[in-house]
Amino acid sequence: MTEKSATPVSAGHLLTVSDLTVRFRSHGEAVYAVNGVSFDLDAGETLGVAGESGCGKSVTNLAILGLLPQPAGRVEAGSVQLSGRELTTLREEELRKVRGSEIAMIFQDPMTSLNPVLRIEEQLIETIRAHRDVTVQAARERAIELLVAVGVANPESRLRSYPHEFSGGMRQRVMIAMALALEPRILIADEPTTALDVTIQAQVLDLLRRLTAERGTATILVTHDLGVLAGMADRINVMYAGKVIESGTTEELFAHPRHPYTVGLLRSIPRLDGEAGGKLVPIEGRPPDLVAEPVGCSFYARCAWRQERCALEAPALVQIDGGTQPIVTTGAGATHVAACFNPVAQAEVAEGRPAAGRR
Amino acid sequence: MIMRGALVDPVMASAPSGLWRDALRRLRRNRLAMIGVACMTLFFAAAILAPVIAPYASNDMSGPSLSGPSAAHLFGTDLLGRDVFSRVLYGAQISLFVGVFAVVLALIIGTTFGAIAGGYGGRVDGIIMRATDVLLSIPTILLAIGIVTWLGQGLPQLVLAIAVGYAPVFARLLRGSLLALREADYVIAARTIGGSNSRILMRHMLPNALTPLIVQATLVLATAIIDIAGLGFLGLGPADPRTPEWGTMLVDARRFMQTAPHIVFFIGGAIVISAIGFNLLGDGLRESLDPKLKR
Amino acid sequence: MARYIIRRLLAAIPVLLGLSLVLFAYIRLLPGDPCVAILGQHRTVESCAKLREHLGLDLPLWQQYVNYLTQTLSGDFGNSVINALPFTQEFTVRFPGTLELTIGALIFAIGAGIPLGRLAARRVGGWADGLITGISLFGVSIPVFVLGLALAVIFGVALGWLPTQGRIDAHFRFDSITGFLLIDTLLAGRPDYFVDAVRHLILPSIALGSIPLAIITRITRASVIEVANEDYVRTARAKGLAGKKVDQRHVMRNAWLPVTTVIGLQVGSLLGGAVLTETVFVWNGVGRWVVDAIENHDYPIIQSTILVFAAFFLIVNLLVDIGYAFLNPRIRY
Repeated sequence: MTEKSATPVSAGHLLTVSDLTVRFRSHGEAVYAVNGVSFDLDAGETLGVAGESGCGKSVTNLAILGLLPQPAGRVEAGSVQLSGRELTTLREEELRKVRGSEIAMIFQDPMTSLNPVLRIEEQLIETIRAHRDVTVQAARERAIELLVAVGVANPESRLRSYPHEFSGGMRQRVMIAMALALEPRILIADEPTTALDVTIQAQVLDLLRRLTAERGTATILVTHDLGVLAGMADRINVMYAGKVIESGTTEELFAHPRHPYTVGLLRSIPRLDGEAGGKLVPIEGRPPDLVAEPVGCSFYARCAWRQERCALEAPALVQIDGGTQPIVTTGAGATHVAACFNPVAQAEVAEGRPAAGRR
Repeated sequence: MIMRGALVDPVMASAPSGLWRDALRRLRRNRLAMIGVACMTLFFAAAILAPVIAPYASNDMSGPSLSGPSAAHLFGTDLLGRDVFSRVLYGAQISLFVGVFAVVLALIIGTTFGAIAGGYGGRVDGIIMRATDVLLSIPTILLAIGIVTWLGQGLPQLVLAIAVGYAPVFARLLRGSLLALREADYVIAARTIGGSNSRILMRHMLPNALTPLIVQATLVLATAIIDIAGLGFLGLGPADPRTPEWGTMLVDARRFMQTAPHIVFFIGGAIVISAIGFNLLGDGLRESLDPKLKR
Repeated sequence: MARYIIRRLLAAIPVLLGLSLVLFAYIRLLPGDPCVAILGQHRTVESCAKLREHLGLDLPLWQQYVNYLTQTLSGDFGNSVINALPFTQEFTVRFPGTLELTIGALIFAIGAGIPLGRLAARRVGGWADGLITGISLFGVSIPVFVLGLALAVIFGVALGWLPTQGRIDAHFRFDSITGFLLIDTLLAGRPDYFVDAVRHLILPSIALGSIPLAIITRITRASVIEVANEDYVRTARAKGLAGKKVDQRHVMRNAWLPVTTVIGLQVGSLLGGAVLTETVFVWNGVGRWVVDAIENHDYPIIQSTILVFAAFFLIVNLLVDIGYAFLNPRIRY
């Protein structure tokens, strides 16, 4: 089922998001939800997106698929290209063909993401038939295959069940089956395990990793839990206040975090290798309210490394160590970039605060 | 006579104390609610100031029969040459009197039973709830017909007839709020420090269950005004048929609907404006008091 | 499912018993000599004796109540004090008229209310939403008889479009088989009569249906808005379903649920409102009969009408609840 579009690949990447800007406007107020997000994604890659809630992770994903809540949410600038094809200006009917079939999505809460009054069968079959001209019977057989693939026992009889007759983990498996039904090239998983029991989380993540690897599906895995990304993602974008503030390969980012916010995030999760000293430290303060147009660095108010300049000027996402090679945005050799005027030095990571005399 | 099923969410009962000032501010910004307040003010002013504003006494045969609107008779005259404008004003008095007393009585009866049911639960609760089921299964207007034919015509009977119809609504509403509140943290806290049942009910739970009751009472006042007119229209209004009660007046007006449609129009308009006033205010109150709708 | 239905049926029994108790008291506790109170100036020595026997006034109260229950359950709903005819005889003739009117009003209320509610929900705060909210506000604020009179004046008297009195042209002759004119005229093979009956039904249905229309519109609007924000609707859109499919299968299938319940609750108010509407449109149904009964203090008629209407309301809502269980798989036990 992967005979999809033979559009010439202009930028060379499967998905290119550049300078994406999303605003929510209602009652004369604006929320600056996404403020110039750029990233690329290649086939087969898993990109992790991390950040606290409200940092624009989910909004970015919804914007990619044109699913922003209407009429308040709008893409006000930037572009999203799928194999060189611009999505932000696509007509609704064309975009509909992309959704589910080329880019599929899994949402956070499997309890509320399935329609309670429709049988699993109906929800799977309608997905397949929305994009493929097949009989109900054929779609049904495909649905059974999918349920087997995601590890639902007795798929024949389970198809007749309603969502409330499944456990949370099972429902998320059904969601995964539904998302992979059309062999999409990209799967966006938005906090897919946050609502699940810890014991179930690992199983579901495992399943997700196996299925996407088998199919070569590129994945965007959104989570506030860096621990999840450690085992899943090839690369990580750290987001804050609607911007990507640091990006690099998972290994590099865990080993040499440069943005103070990333350092904070890392220090707030338990690490199996105990490298960070074992103590969990929450980041003080809260993410900024995005109702005001951001000025300067958004992390300024909570940052221990801040300088005067940070309040006035927003740092760009650049290669920190002033390397001269061209920036690579995807793959194992992706360049480590961060948006910070006063990046954290390696020696300071463990302490979580600037070395004495450095301010 | 219709909106008996309580539409107010009992959950909004858990209201913090600073809520009222907040709510008032939101209410003042609500354009529709302010239109409601204007309609209501018109209604209250008509009722209270009727003796001052009305150019004629309600049964004064001051003009020709069935004349149209004129400077002397703003709303024209009825068959007996009585000034319709004056009668509409005095009619407001009756609607206000009966409506307010009926709603207050319904509130007293309803909250008493609702508090007992919600506060004590168990078998008492079961019996009271079945009783409200019984009353709510009878269409309000039929219930009122039954009561008025039973007790005989008159204003106090009207008050009672309407009150009995709406008391179950308040009883259920309060009980619902109380049940939700029983699980609320601060009530549990009061219980653990050894508050007595009735003290907890009076001091902690009732004040917080009040907001949905106030909203519902405003909305019920609108339907009560309509019900009173309906009973009058069926000939069950005040004992004296000359009383300027809106529904009773409509019975006469209807006979001359073809020759003098303006009478129906003015009386009907008066009822509609009053009902719209309370409905808009009730909706506005609900919106401004419900913390979930806060923008 | 069967167990659910049985449980709901059993739950209705105490309510019906309570209802019978109230209505039993209604007649027995009339102030003064029951014969005078009930029969009033229509009383004769024989009718008084008959009434005493019927009510069993010499027996202890509990036995009187048991008698009342057994009489009612065996289909004896008492007799009119005016013409001594049994309640059931007149009621069965008149009830189809009321039911036809009620169904007409319900069809109007649902047929207009749901599309209006959906339209308003499409763009919250838009001009259509404002207009529809205004209509529904007006609908709950205008008494049925005022609206009825206004409709009669405008569309009947002034424009002459529609008849304003009665259920059908009085000159038409045909057999009354079911009592429902829309059915009887067709059974008689007279489509022209049928059309006339429909024309008679329009204005009363609109007048009576205005309040349910307003309430159904509001509930539909609120329900659609709420469901449209549900995660599963977002899932449906993310799957690439066409907008219409999302609307029908995902939004409306769920938005229907609260609307159904509200429609059931409207039946009570429709029956009550029918009394007023029938008066305005000179409609031959139970309502006008009740108004006559009020004037004549015909207590047994009032008592039994209340009983039957309330029982009808309870049954309709029982059916609605069962239908709801079919619509909502989460309820099936």
